[in-house]
Amino acid sequence: MTIVQPIQIQVAQAVFEAWDKIGVTGRAEKLEKALVAFSDEQRNMAQWQIDNAKREIAETRVMPGPTGERNELSSQGRGPFLCISLVESDKANVGLVGQVFTALIAGNPVITVGQVGQDIMDKIMPYVAEGVIQNIADSALDSLIEADHLAGVATLCDDTQAQQLSQRLAAKGGLICQLIEETDSEQLSTIAKPHNLLRFVTERTVSNNTTAIGGNATLLELGSMDD
Amino acid sequence: MFKAIDVLQPEFIQKPLNELWTLISPLYKADEESWLKELLPLAKPTEQQLADHTNAASDLIAKVRKDDDNMSMIDALLLEYSLDTKEGILLMCLAEALMRVPDKETADAFIKDRLSVADWASHAKNSDSFFVNASTWGLLLTGKIVTMDENQDGTPANLVNRMVNRVSEPVIRKAMNQAMKIMGHQFVLGRDIKEALSRGKGYRDKGYTYSFDMLGEAALTAEDADKYLHSYEQAVESVGKDTYNQKHRPTISIKLSALHPRYEIGCEERVMTELSESVKGLITKARELNVGITIDAEEADRLELSLNLFEKLYRDEATRGWGLFGLVVQAYSKRALPVLAWLAALAKEQGDRIPIRLVKGAYWDSEIKLCQQRGINGYPVYTRKESTDVSYLACANFLLSEHTRANIFPQFASHNAHTIATIHCLAKQLGATSEEFEFQRLHGMGDALYNHLIKENDICVRIYAPVGSHKDLLPYLVRRLLENGANSSFVHRLIDASYPIADLIDHPVTTLESRKSLANPHINLPANLFDDRKNSFGPNIEIASEWTPFKAKIDAFMEQDTQWRAFPIVGGEKVATGHTHSILSPYDHSQAAGQIDWADTETVSKAIDLAEAAFPAWSARPATERADCLDRAADLMEENYAELMALCHREAGKTIQDSIDEVREAVDFCRYYAQQARSHFATPTSYIDFLGQGKQAQLKGRGVFTCISPWNFPLAIFAGQVVAALVVGNTVVAKPAEQTSLIAFRAIELLHQAGIPTDVLHLLPGDGATVGAPLTSDKRIAGLAFTGSTGTAQLINRTLAVRGVAPVPVIAETGGQNAMLVDSTSLPEQVVRDAVRSAFASAGQRCSALRVLFIQEDIADRVIPMIKGAMQEQAVGLPYLHSTDVGPVIDKKAQKMLLDHIEYMKTAGKLIAQTALPEFADKGTYVAPTAFEIDSIDQLTDEKFGPILHVVRYKARDLNKIIDTINNSGFGLTLGVHSRNETTCANIASRARVGNLYINRDQVGAVVGVQPFGGQGLSGTGPKAGGPHYLQRFAIEQDL
Repeated sequence: MTIVQPIQIQVAQAVFEAWDKIGVTGRAEKLEKALVAFSDEQRNMAQWQIDNAKREIAETRVMPGPTGERNELSSQGRGPFLCISLVESDKANVGLVGQVFTALIAGNPVITVGQVGQDIMDKIMPYVAEGVIQNIADSALDSLIEADHLAGVATLCDDTQAQQLSQRLAAKGGLICQLIEETDSEQLSTIAKPHNLLRFVTERTVSNNTTAIGGNATLLELGSMDD
Repeated sequence: MFKAIDVLQPEFIQKPLNELWTLISPLYKADEESWLKELLPLAKPTEQQLADHTNAASDLIAKVRKDDDNMSMIDALLLEYSLDTKEGILLMCLAEALMRVPDKETADAFIKDRLSVADWASHAKNSDSFFVNASTWGLLLTGKIVTMDENQDGTPANLVNRMVNRVSEPVIRKAMNQAMKIMGHQFVLGRDIKEALSRGKGYRDKGYTYSFDMLGEAALTAEDADKYLHSYEQAVESVGKDTYNQKHRPTISIKLSALHPRYEIGCEERVMTELSESVKGLITKARELNVGITIDAEEADRLELSLNLFEKLYRDEATRGWGLFGLVVQAYSKRALPVLAWLAALAKEQGDRIPIRLVKGAYWDSEIKLCQQRGINGYPVYTRKESTDVSYLACANFLLSEHTRANIFPQFASHNAHTIATIHCLAKQLGATSEEFEFQRLHGMGDALYNHLIKENDICVRIYAPVGSHKDLLPYLVRRLLENGANSSFVHRLIDASYPIADLIDHPVTTLESRKSLANPHINLPANLFDDRKNSFGPNIEIASEWTPFKAKIDAFMEQDTQWRAFPIVGGEKVATGHTHSILSPYDHSQAAGQIDWADTETVSKAIDLAEAAFPAWSARPATERADCLDRAADLMEENYAELMALCHREAGKTIQDSIDEVREAVDFCRYYAQQARSHFATPTSYIDFLGQGKQAQLKGRGVFTCISPWNFPLAIFAGQVVAALVVGNTVVAKPAEQTSLIAFRAIELLHQAGIPTDVLHLLPGDGATVGAPLTSDKRIAGLAFTGSTGTAQLINRTLAVRGVAPVPVIAETGGQNAMLVDSTSLPEQVVRDAVRSAFASAGQRCSALRVLFIQEDIADRVIPMIKGAMQEQAVGLPYLHSTDVGPVIDKKAQKMLLDHIEYMKTAGKLIAQTALPEFADKGTYVAPTAFEIDSIDQLTDEKFGPILHVVRYKARDLNKIIDTINNSGFGLTLGVHSRNETTCANIASRARVGNLYINRDQVGAVVGVQPFGGQGLSGTGPKAGGPHYLQRFAIEQDL
């Protein structure tokens, strides 16, 4: 049986590769243009998440190791993320902006929900490629949560809602969908921490045998180096 | 370590051969400082000698520089395109690969990739050589054309460019191929021995002679070995019939790795029979025709094997009394001097003479790299160039000594003016006549130096000349040239008139003695590879002095009377539950490794109770204390290496190298996570929050962590999960795989011994129903690390989610459908070696193992038969034997699943090859490595975790579609790429959604802290094990 993915997931998947390829710096450049449209606190949260990403994941890390090979560790987005707040408050909206910006800066396309989501999408959409951020009506939420290729859900919710969401996501087949929940919608004590960003990314190691055609320039240099 | 200077005493080589033999192996990785102190007196000149050597060298260089015709074309090329320049390397890259690319599309893309990124203009008109200038202009123009501005659709941006482009690609391709042919013509004396003999006449008229070598890649298949043998036989015949200038007869050099597909210690029996017979046949023929044979030296691991083979052949009736069967000794090897002494004694004992070519050595950088990768605790080669030069002179001193000359005919191969001049002086000082030694040089290098030497002295100079098709040989020679950068740099400086002669004639002893340390401080020993932690150790199983004593320790655990008895460990107590299970060796089900009691529900519950109670105190301990426990555990694992390896053999059916790698990985996990914890968990992190306020966050443990690990890495993954959770501050309940719980039991014992409190860490062996289910459904579980199948991960995730508590982290590493993409620029020999290892090592039971090999259709007909041939050379057998490449699969269930798939594929695909099984295979659970050709990856629904490879042909233009197909499988663990085109590699790297991507190498064996490992999508949640972000997921981050 062919499973038809919601159109938003299909669109998100189609733009995912291009959005992810831009890199943190490229995405930051685009996302920062959108900041003026947000309220002060929302803007601060969004900027903080962008800056945090620049610090934590922008650079490809060259890993130490034997001479004659190059090992690089970098981060990539996970795929389509659903960002939703199940709590209504100004602070929660700040949190939701934080989740959206974290998901986006990490390289994921984002789908928001309802009017709150629409407002956020409208402010970001002019600066990013079509499909990088989309919004759905509340009524479409269930089908999106059930979608196979949804990589993660970033949400503001209470403990019970978190458990329920967790159960629903776990019940699906396919990849293990990440639930990144902020249950402290007043203090935002989880999502505005330096390491929270890491949950939005997946990592990639590229190992290159730099001596495949012969020669090991690095080592030859070390071998002939003066004391 | 023996006293090196003693070799100069005539009685030294009168010692019994077996006594001299024992001096060789222990020097394999001798302490460099100590051994060089021994060697220096043999190389150290007196003041008068120093003056003589220096003057001779200075004189020789001055003459060479005055000579208008001082450069061969290769010298000239290297002078302009030095191998330390980008252009030099790019040019060599082209030369290495272009001629073998059969299809236009890939060739054009490759030319563009290589030529568009260098500054060719800067080389225009620099050289006096027409050949070099012509090449430069060709490269310059080509580079300009291929870098023309393009529109987004790839068409040239303006009319002129469009016009040029229309004609350019075929023209460029033709021109570049022509340039490579010219280069091949320079590097290779002849495409066959007839042409080589003909082209060599000019030099022979000048007094040179030759040693011809039918060089090329090592043979991977019996068919390739036969081809090489045939070409050597033809060469012997042609040279034997050659009557031109009989003064110094040309000889043939042979490369043993070309004559046997498994010329390695593990296949010693085959080497000493099959290879021995091949070489003996050659010797017999060569002796009839009076053509000397010299065995080339290869990697350090093969030295002792090559000596054993040499001795056998040398003592054979076919060789006895001949005096023209010799071999090559590499001076960069720490074992060179005792090898020479042993050879001299061998010759003396038999009353013959052995020709020995003394070279400096051509595999220096790969020897260093290999030791670093394998964690060998030392190097077989010197780490400074001048140390090799010292060793060379020390060996020369021995070889030219009167008592040695009677039995050895030394052949000094060098392109270094100082070395040549010094040897020449030394020979005179020691009374060696020009009949008692000779010099050797490479075809195309060092012409000017030797032209002068030969003109002024009655001395034999032999040119080592490669013979073979340019297409096959050029890649090989270019690699050798690149690996021999030191040689080319000397050539470069020798000819460069601006480089002071005085700087070229420093005596190596003077240079070395002026150093602060004799060993190179810039090249760390493998143990010190990392700045912040000790590297794990691995014994070298190819070297007798390393492996024999180590193996003896393992053997002590290999007999049936050694039986391990294991239990659940709860609160430090072994809990006898009565649910006792025998663990049988996968290679022989009539043999047991031991017994284990499985945990019951009550035991599980008690373990969680204790772990929960212990959490506050353990979590409160400083991270540095927890880290210290991990470091101690690593040391204990290395102390118990032999027992752990025996368990890997007997319980998991792992081969020797796999078992070493297993222990090393576990040790590395302990040390790496210990260091990560010290860096990130010992003190809080200061940061400014989004409101601009300064804050401090501390990473802390979460509570009780469940760790569920697989059987395929029963120590490494088990320990990796457990220590990661522990060092963060969690307490742990660990469930190992049912098949491999004995080694897990020992690991827990060692962790407790290392200081992990017994109430903090508990072992719960058992099956999923009795142990796994409560460990995932208990509300107190604060997080879970799992490695295994995707389906089980989903099930566990569901169980955790329905507990009615807050969601917890699930760190899952799951399956893959791993592919390798091979384009037509790649080197088939490298592809086949890496594909076979990636698919069949560990019987394919690695998460990273290759399942689907995509080969560009243009080279598939060359590569697929090579895979077939290489698979026929694989040995399936008992895992604890060195000769075994592939051991058993883990159990009957796995075996049945794999055999069913093989049966299915016999109709759904086309069988390429199946490796033979041993006679005793029925005693255990063996599955023959099998390869099928299929049409598409879509024919595979799920991962088959075993030694089964699927091969798919693809069209070059469909590469992006193939990447899409791989991405669409949903799995994303490993991907291999073989291509010389960096643009292609970069494109694949940017598009493929995989966790670990490997370029121009195999795709298994990720190293902790070097190649963080883990997949994405259906292959895992991340973060990567052995990476800098792994521990954070086991923790919570709290503001202070």
